[in-house]
Amino acid sequence: MDFTLTDEQELLLSSLDELLERECPESYIADLDLHHESATSFRKALHEAGFMSLGFPEEYGGMPCDAVTLVLLAERVCRQGLNNGFGLELLQAMDILEFGSEAQKQEILGLLANGRVPFALGFTEPGAGSDNSAMTTSAVHHDGLVTFNGTNTLITAALQSKYLLVMAKNPDTDDPRKAISMYLVPMDAPGVTTNRLEKILWYTQDSCEIFLDDVTLPEEECLVGVKGNGFKQLMRNFEMERLVIAATCLGQAQCAFDDAAAYAAQRVQFGQPIGNFQLTQLKLTDMAIKLENMRNFVYKTAWMLDRGLPLKSQGALCKRYCAMSGFEVADDALQIFGGVGVTVGARVSRLWRDLRGHRFGGGTDEIMVHIAGRQIVKDHS
Amino acid sequence: MKIVVAYKWAPNPQDLEVRADGTVDEARGKPAVSEYDPVAFELARRLADETGGEVVGLTVGAAAIDTPLARKAALSRGLDRLVLVADDALAGADSTRLAAVLAAAVRAIGGVDLVLAGDSSVDVAEGQVPLTAAAQLGWLGLGRVTAVTPAAEGLSVERDTPAGVAVLAVRTPVVLAATADAVVPRVAGMKDILAAAKKPVEVLALAALDVPAPAVTLATLGTAKPSGGDRRAVLFDGSDPASAASQLVGALRSAGVL
Ligand SMILES: Cc1cc2nc3c(=O)[nH]c(=O)nc-3n(C[C@H](O)[C@H](O)[C@H](O)COP(=O)(O)OP(=O)(O)OC[C@H]3O[C@@H](n4cnc5c(N)ncnc54)[C@H](O)[C@@H]3O)c2cc1C
Repeated sequence: MDFTLTDEQELLLSSLDELLERECPESYIADLDLHHESATSFRKALHEAGFMSLGFPEEYGGMPCDAVTLVLLAERVCRQGLNNGFGLELLQAMDILEFGSEAQKQEILGLLANGRVPFALGFTEPGAGSDNSAMTTSAVHHDGLVTFNGTNTLITAALQSKYLLVMAKNPDTDDPRKAISMYLVPMDAPGVTTNRLEKILWYTQDSCEIFLDDVTLPEEECLVGVKGNGFKQLMRNFEMERLVIAATCLGQAQCAFDDAAAYAAQRVQFGQPIGNFQLTQLKLTDMAIKLENMRNFVYKTAWMLDRGLPLKSQGALCKRYCAMSGFEVADDALQIFGGVGVTVGARVSRLWRDLRGHRFGGGTDEIMVHIAGRQIVKDHS
Repeated sequence: MKIVVAYKWAPNPQDLEVRADGTVDEARGKPAVSEYDPVAFELARRLADETGGEVVGLTVGAAAIDTPLARKAALSRGLDRLVLVADDALAGADSTRLAAVLAAAVRAIGGVDLVLAGDSSVDVAEGQVPLTAAAQLGWLGLGRVTAVTPAAEGLSVERDTPAGVAVLAVRTPVVLAATADAVVPRVAGMKDILAAAKKPVEVLALAALDVPAPAVTLATLGTAKPSGGDRRAVLFDGSDPASAASQLVGALRSAGVL
């Protein structure tokens, strides 16, 4: 097994390092976090340097890019301490580039180029969380128009996005698998209202409830892809999404570990650095083991994707392990910092908060068991 | 306009360790294009795009400076082609010798109008190479350059010196050393990195270059860590901002900062 990075990966990572140093220092991230703002200027810089179009088809100004390289980049940006810093918008945009109309593609690419979050993804509803199939948001097609009614909740970054990529059900279709379609709804369309949800983590991304009351749009403009194929289209990039979340957790956990190890080496109590105490060393050692496992898990899963190998439960296993272990690493890091760690402005407190969110978003820890467990039993029956 | 960017392939100082005796352990230093040189690449690229010219990268050093990664790292920063002199006879060479080899390579490239370099290298940081190379070539050499633009007869060059900003009309050929903050260099994206592998590279043999034998070589007798300087912390009572500000100005004056 060869873990050596290619020259191209090395060079891309050192370019990214330059960009991070210049456009995304800790002071910038801390400020965004404090004021609950989005990393718009950094995203714009990433785009200008060509990072945001990696993985896009060439006809849209993109560059083909393998999954290993993408997770290396996501890990590196998040290691800077920026939550969800790289990869997720790219994946969402892939849904539009693969299934959207030409006008939808141009609109989304234009927003990305300006550092904007083009759209939020809405499928969670008050009555349909882990169980997406229970969704009730309706899309009624009539006279070339579509009328939407329903409520989404816990939607990330919708208040800063121009559109909502919403999953909705056609009430006239009996087969539940064919009832769901994907739509792009402008957040300022008449009938769309929102209610901000204040949360204790992910401050650089807002969360809200979205109410759709008789929102009526031309079908041609709002339908994405094929009517009735909504879930199939959504699932298309799910594996990659789980992997990017896992890489995000890895990067942030590494950042927490580096901070904690440096702190342990210099914080003096009882006349010596706390890093001299075996109890601190035990924590650092177990954290290092978890990071090594996470890294291997993420890289191998990406490698499998690149080889076109069937992932089966691999994506769910990887997401579960990295979300949980990443948080455990941050929790131990917080412990090493002692009281100063929980003060506002200590980076480790932000990492701890932000990592906790990944145990829900993209499917909970338990739902990853739900997915992987079934597959494991199936493979052995 | 034919522009040569003279740059150094140098270890990243962040990875280096300074031993107790002041000598530097470079074993863990990952080499890269020296930190202050990308400014020269950027100035050169902009000037060449404006004038329809060519940008040739040039670096000289020990054999280890010629690796596929090192070639691509430089070529992805906006060069059209690369010229290298990589020979272990240059390992640990002093700045006068390096400048002499650079000058000889510039002569070998031929027809060069402008040599652009960074202000100094990130590892040695003597800042002598560009102007010594200018002397070797018998060309005008200017340091502290903050801007270069094409002009009717040659170039318009802006310099930031302690005496103030000077704008000069300069005829080519000329050697210019740019300040570290003259421009913000663009970072190489995936397209640039992939394209780099396809750009031409020429390796010049040291023995084939016309380098005058050095009259004197530099011998370093000793090294020492720079002193941290005397640090002092003075706290002013900020309840009356106007008085605190004047106390601060007074303290800076008496310390000789202002
Ligand atoms: C930070 C954050 C960002 C989010 N961003 C978005 C977004 O952008 N778009 C969007 O649509 N949604 C988003 N969500 C919603 C997210 O997808 C849901 O929170 C998640 O799917 C769980 O749904 P729920 O919260 O309703 O919990 P529930 O489904 O009600 O689950 C409650 C608990 O029961 C467990 N549980 C449920 N079913 C099972 C089962 N079968 N077996 C065992 N345990 C089970 C769950 O794991 C959980 O612990 C986000 C959530 C968070 C926290």
